[in-house]
Amino acid sequence: MLSIHDLHAQIGVRKILKGVNLEVKPGEVHAIMGPNGSGKSTLASVLAGRAGYEVTQGTVHYLGEDLLALEPEERARRGVFLAFQYPVEIPGVNNAYLLKAALNAVRKQRGLAELDAFEFLALIKDKMKLMQMDESFLSRGVNEGFSGGEKKRNEILQMAVLEPKLALLDETDSGLDIDALRVVATGVNSLRSPERAIVMVTHYQRLLDYIEPDFVHVLSDGRILRTGDKSLALELEKRGYDWVKQEASAA
Amino acid sequence: MSAMTPSPATAHYREAFERLQPVLGGSASHRAAAMERFAELGFPGTRDEAWKYTSLRRLESRRFVPAAPATTSVEVPAAFVGQRLVLVNGSPVSALPESLGGFTLGTLTTASEEQLLRPLPGGGTERFAALNAALSTGPLLLSTTTGQRSEDVLQLTLITTGAGPTLASPRIAVRLAAGSRARLLIDHVDDGAHEHFTNAVLDIELGAGAHLTLYRLQRQGERAFHIERIEARVGANATFVMRDSQLGAALARLDTNVSLDGRAAATEITGVFLADGSRHLDSHVHVGHRAIETTSLQDYRGIAANKGRGVFNGKAIVHEGAQKSNARQVNRNLLLTAGAEIDTKPDLEIYADDVQCSHGTTTGQLDPNALFYLRSRGLSEPAARSALTRAFAGAVMARVDEPALARYVHDELDRRLVRLLEVTA
Repeated sequence: MLSIHDLHAQIGVRKILKGVNLEVKPGEVHAIMGPNGSGKSTLASVLAGRAGYEVTQGTVHYLGEDLLALEPEERARRGVFLAFQYPVEIPGVNNAYLLKAALNAVRKQRGLAELDAFEFLALIKDKMKLMQMDESFLSRGVNEGFSGGEKKRNEILQMAVLEPKLALLDETDSGLDIDALRVVATGVNSLRSPERAIVMVTHYQRLLDYIEPDFVHVLSDGRILRTGDKSLALELEKRGYDWVKQEASAA
Repeated sequence: MSAMTPSPATAHYREAFERLQPVLGGSASHRAAAMERFAELGFPGTRDEAWKYTSLRRLESRRFVPAAPATTSVEVPAAFVGQRLVLVNGSPVSALPESLGGFTLGTLTTASEEQLLRPLPGGGTERFAALNAALSTGPLLLSTTTGQRSEDVLQLTLITTGAGPTLASPRIAVRLAAGSRARLLIDHVDDGAHEHFTNAVLDIELGAGAHLTLYRLQRQGERAFHIERIEARVGANATFVMRDSQLGAALARLDTNVSLDGRAAATEITGVFLADGSRHLDSHVHVGHRAIETTSLQDYRGIAANKGRGVFNGKAIVHEGAQKSNARQVNRNLLLTAGAEIDTKPDLEIYADDVQCSHGTTTGQLDPNALFYLRSRGLSEPAARSALTRAFAGAVMARVDEPALARYVHDELDRRLVRLLEVTA
């Protein structure tokens, strides 16, 4: 589904990704871990199409298409979803408007009819219940005045509504207390399916107690140094990241 | 100085005035004095501080024909609200009802000339208010009686029309008696067939405890020139609310002068303008706090795109003795495309020591993070830009409490934004 080959990316003259290789198949859950500044969030941003990153080398294919050639909205409509580390507050654009516009953009791409207001409300009601969100939230501005936990829940709600093929979660656990983390994890787990792939970027192992990955990758200094199963995450939790770097440089 | 050597433009209007005078009504001396004042002041140049960002060279070079009293009705856009009156080139085309939409109606034959054509001295638009007093064909008085409260909205559609470039001089005097309440929508349109010039005056007085909401919609075509003077004197405990939407005209200048004369007089002046294409929209707001416990809010949101240009000059003066007054000014501007420009100047003068005053002004572009967020959810770039731009205007538009008008302005903003953003995307 997602095939990253020798990806190099930089911001200005600062090189951040220095040859990332990654294969993600439908149904898989991947965790990308690494110390601060290793390039985790850059990878998520490049995949979603955020401006300001220059890809200098390598390729990214998504469902056989050159992902990097697509505009952010074209990626979204083809089923790529990025849950932001820092969801943006947009006063004056309400959540219902955004959800409906986003959903209809995706449906149009899939050849489905647009939903009217009633069908839309019926669809999101259940998903809001799952994310423990009150209906009054729909008429509020996007993320306006939301707590950190509400913002992250809103990201997962959007994801649940849009049903992406490839979900990228950028530090979704950061800033969450344990109750909020459980709600978010429940939402993500409800979306696990044989057709959908999930790539989680995270600093801590904690999230992986709730969302079990099939693969764990260690990203350090712009490269994936090691790949393992969930036991690798536990080892990282115990031993930190330094040993991975040492073993990699010894090899 | 200029009276001795009148410019060709001034001479043109003086001659036209002399031809028109027999049919204008009112006392000839009053009109002639106004014409003299206009000739004396003449057209301003950009060295005049009040006209620094707005050149009237184009306006001055045209020879608009001042309209004679209108006799035939013309097509106007549909009304938003139930009660509507149309003035063609500043005058009614048929006999007026005695009252409409919460107001009693008066004309030069029933109301005093002192009320209807009084001079409005000072400010950059004094000259045009004088020209208006000389040439106004059907000055209209809208008044209320003590304690009369109406929730109706009177939609006053002012259309400028003619077989060639026409100067219309609509003039409306509003007098709210003590304790009365009324709502008025002034709707500026033109026929779009020629480069017309609308030179309007709105002269308002609110008695003690009176409350006026003035909605303003400027929606002439792409070729229109528009100059307007709004003068409001606000008595004790009275409130003047203005909700302005500037969407039309090629070149427009609006001066809103509010004098808070009585204790606890209040005003709220909010508006949006969209300077797209090559539109030039200039607003000057001047609030004078002349009594204790007076409050004012100015909040304008400006949007400019393409070669559009906006000017906002907001001023509040807290005069000596106006203690416990509160003056707030906000002006936020959005430049949607390269080449657009907005010049803004907030200005506070305070001559009292126990007051609260604030002003804030920003000019910027859409937040790139918000734009990316919306696009990452599948919205096209024009749709995302349009949504963010509407949100920008939304804070001020939310105050337009006449739903049909708010809907019209929203739809018009939408239509124009999507079109211009698709072209520039």
